[in-house]
Amino acid sequence: MKLFAYAIPLAIVMSGSAYAQAMTSAEYVAAAGAGDTYEIQSSQTVLQTTQDPKIRSFAQMMIQDHTKSTAKIKMAALTAKVKPKPMLMPAQAEMLTQLKAETGTARDQAYIAQQKQAHQQALTIHQSYAEGGKNVALKMVATNTVPVVQHHIEMLKTM
Amino acid sequence: MTNRLFLGLALLVGTSTVASAQSTMSPNAPPPPPAPVMATTPPAKAAADMQAVLDAQAALGAKPIETLTPAKARLQPSPADGAKMVMRQKGMSTAPDPAVTTKDVAYGADPMQFARVYTPAATVGAGAPLPVVVYYHGGGWVIADVNTYDATPRLLSKQLNAIVVSVEYRHAPEAKFPAQHDDAVAAYRWVLANAASWGGNPAKVALAGESAGGNLAVATAIYARDNGLTAPLHILAVYPIANSAMQLPSKMDSANAKPLNTPMLKWFGNYYSRTEADQQDPRINLVAANLAKLPPTTIINAEIDPLRSDGETLAAAMKKAGDTVDQKTFPGVTHEFFGLGKVVRGAYDAELYAVAKLKKALLN
Repeated sequence: MKLFAYAIPLAIVMSGSAYAQAMTSAEYVAAAGAGDTYEIQSSQTVLQTTQDPKIRSFAQMMIQDHTKSTAKIKMAALTAKVKPKPMLMPAQAEMLTQLKAETGTARDQAYIAQQKQAHQQALTIHQSYAEGGKNVALKMVATNTVPVVQHHIEMLKTM
Repeated sequence: MTNRLFLGLALLVGTSTVASAQSTMSPNAPPPPPAPVMATTPPAKAAADMQAVLDAQAALGAKPIETLTPAKARLQPSPADGAKMVMRQKGMSTAPDPAVTTKDVAYGADPMQFARVYTPAATVGAGAPLPVVVYYHGGGWVIADVNTYDATPRLLSKQLNAIVVSVEYRHAPEAKFPAQHDDAVAAYRWVLANAASWGGNPAKVALAGESAGGNLAVATAIYARDNGLTAPLHILAVYPIANSAMQLPSKMDSANAKPLNTPMLKWFGNYYSRTEADQQDPRINLVAANLAKLPPTTIINAEIDPLRSDGETLAAAMKKAGDTVDQKTFPGVTHEFFGLGKVVRGAYDAELYAVAKLKKALLN
C-alpha cells in the first residue's frame, strides 16, 4: 500500500508537467508532415537548376517517396483524429530560403548537405514514434517509413 | 489513470531496485526531473556578434534541451543553424566550401559507425601524403552529428591542407558509455590503417574534438599510449568534458548560459551513463586519469560556458603530469563558438590559434 502512496504523486508529476514525453500522435503527424514538405520543396528547388544527373534522379526520388509517405500519414491520421496541416518548421523554412539563395553547383552542394541533416532528423521522428507512439495505424506508417529513410541516408553517404 | 498509475509504479520499482540507474535506452526516455532552482548570478554578457548567433538559434524555435526527450532534443536547431541564418542574412553563402571535398566511409557495422573524410580539393591524387586530423564532434554523446559539426573539420582541412576524418559514433541512450569511447578508438585504429589509401600520412596524425568530442580526443590519446598505437603528434581539445565535479566555478557562473547550461550537463549524464559511477570513470572524468606522457595539447575554452573550468582544470592536471599544454579562454563567447569564425570575431581568433598550433605539430 505504501507503494501507491508514492506512485500517485509521481504519476501526477509525470502527466501534469510541461516536461516532454514520447511524441504524441499530433506531434508526429506535424513533424513528419513538415519533414515531407521540406523534402519535396527543397528537391523541387534543386531540380530547377541542377546539371548533375545523380542529384536530379535523387531529387526526383525524394519527391516521389515523400509524397507517398505524406499520403500514408494523412490516411492513418484519420484514425487518430488528428488533422494534418503540413507546415514547415522555422528551421526548415530557413533552410529552404538558404537553398534558394544559392546558384549553380553551390546550390547542389548545399542541397546534399541539407539532405544529410534533414534525413537524420526524419529518421529520429519516425524511429521515435515507431517505438513510443500510441496510435496503431500511425505507428505502422512510422515503422514502415524507417527503412525508406535509412535507404535514403545510405544513398546520401555516396554523394 | 490506470496507465499513469502503472507508469508511476514502474518508475518507482525501477528506481528502488537499482538506486543509481540512469535513463532507459529509448530515444523517448523522459528527461531527469528539474533540479531545484539555484540562486545564481546571470552569465557574463556575450559579444554582439556571438549574441546574434544565439538570437538566430532562438528565432529558429530552439527549446530548452534539458526539458526534452533525446528524440525531441535531436530535432532542435543548433548554434550552427543560427550561424547559417546570420550568414544568409548578411548575404554570405551557406553552401559547403568547395575547396574541400568529402566522402562518407564506414568503419564498423552499425549505420552510425562511419566517418566523413574531408580532403583539400586541389590535392586529390597528387603530391606527398598529407597530414591527417581525426576529429570527434560534440553533442554530449546524445544529440548532434557530423552534419551539425561540419564547420570545424572543413576549416581544418582547408587551412592545414590536411585530410580531416570526422568520426560519427553510436549515440546515447540507445548505446551508452563506453560505446562512444570504443567507437572513437576503433575509428582511430581504422584511420591509422587506411589513411595512406586516401593520400594521408599515417605517421603524421593529430586528434581533435569539440565538447564531448574534445573528451574523446584526449581519451583516445590515452588509449593509444596504453595500447601501443601510433601516438598522435598533437591534441586539440575544444571545451572538452573533462571534470565531473559539479561545484566548479564555471558550472555556477555559467549555470544559465546559452547554448549550454549546467542542467543540460546533468541531462546528458542521465542518458549516456549506465550508472552514476560512469561519470567518475577516468575516460569521462579526465582530470583523474593518468595523464603522463601525452602529446603536446592545445585546450580552447569559452568564457561563457559551464565547461570552461573542465578545460582549465584539465590543463592544470596535464601540466602537473609533465605534458606540454597551452590553454586559452576566449572572452565574450559561449560554448559552440568554435567554427563560427565567419560571423563571430572571437571564433575567428580561436580558429587562427588552433590552426597555428596544429600546423606547427603536423607540418614540420
